[in-house]
Amino acid sequence: MRKIVFLFFLIVNFTTAQINVGDTIPSITLKSSDNKEVNLSTLKGKYILVDFWASWCAPCRLGNKKLVKLYNETNHDKFEIVGISIDKDASKWLKAIEKDKIKFTQLIDSNGFDAETAIQFGVDELPSKYLFNKEGVLIAKNPTEEEILKLIEN
Amino acid sequence: MKKLYFMMASMVMMFSISGNAQIVKAEIRATGLTCSMCSNAINKQLKALPEVSNVETDLNTNTFTVTFKEGNELSPKTLKEKVEKAGFFIGSLVLTAKAETINKSPYIVVNDKKNDAAEVQFQVVDKGYVTEKEFKKLSKSYKDIATYSANSEDDFHIKILN
Repeated sequence: MRKIVFLFFLIVNFTTAQINVGDTIPSITLKSSDNKEVNLSTLKGKYILVDFWASWCAPCRLGNKKLVKLYNETNHDKFEIVGISIDKDASKWLKAIEKDKIKFTQLIDSNGFDAETAIQFGVDELPSKYLFNKEGVLIAKNPTEEEILKLIEN
Repeated sequence: MKKLYFMMASMVMMFSISGNAQIVKAEIRATGLTCSMCSNAINKQLKALPEVSNVETDLNTNTFTVTFKEGNELSPKTLKEKVEKAGFFIGSLVLTAKAETINKSPYIVVNDKKNDAAEVQFQVVDKGYVTEKEFKKLSKSYKDIATYSANSEDDFHIKILN
């Protein structure tokens, strides 16, 4: 019985899961491109931009160029970018990181749109961006670079 | 009276059509302004169909491979509607169906390829099931087929592939 209730909860949770402005960054642990385990909730204390992408997503690859530029122009004591790839093939992900010259933290949940992290965030298209403040509270979804710069200056 | 006969006959035909049609698998290549694989929308629309048992995506070919449950009566039109509801278009639609499906269904074969396979593989070549460019080309090739240029939404012109 308990199992059923748990399962039910899980299903309900999955189908309705989606984070909204005002919600706290979820505690999810993922593997990074340098083989470390990183929990998203431990990143509090800085503004965090979470960017969902995949190596096969052309608009994401164009977006990576902008993110790299943004990362180079910002102060990393205040602002950090975390990329989360939903690539099923990790080798393609690593190649893309190298090719796009990404220096910020890169994590992977390698199950496409069925990846648990994508479901928890409510990612339905790529790229998808989420900006969290120093307290780990979501303050903007899919902000532009200008909006990000404005928000993190305050 | 003649009209009534015709109507009755076509109704009987329609009945038998839906009773025997059975698509086993569909390979849908989607097109649109944005990257179709970057959106989960088509996937969700297809998975929501009760006739669908599985949807797989191939990133290299931008293709959604859909497998259907036994005994379904799904029409290619439904697949088109779902893709378009997700904000995309069909670039190509290749179906695999039980051999008898194409004889008894509203399908019109445009090439006379014959085979004895239990399952036939065919491409739907009507407007909306191929790219605009392809359709223009095909309209010239099939100009002698009156039903093709009629663009009826309820018949499907198919090209046998296997």
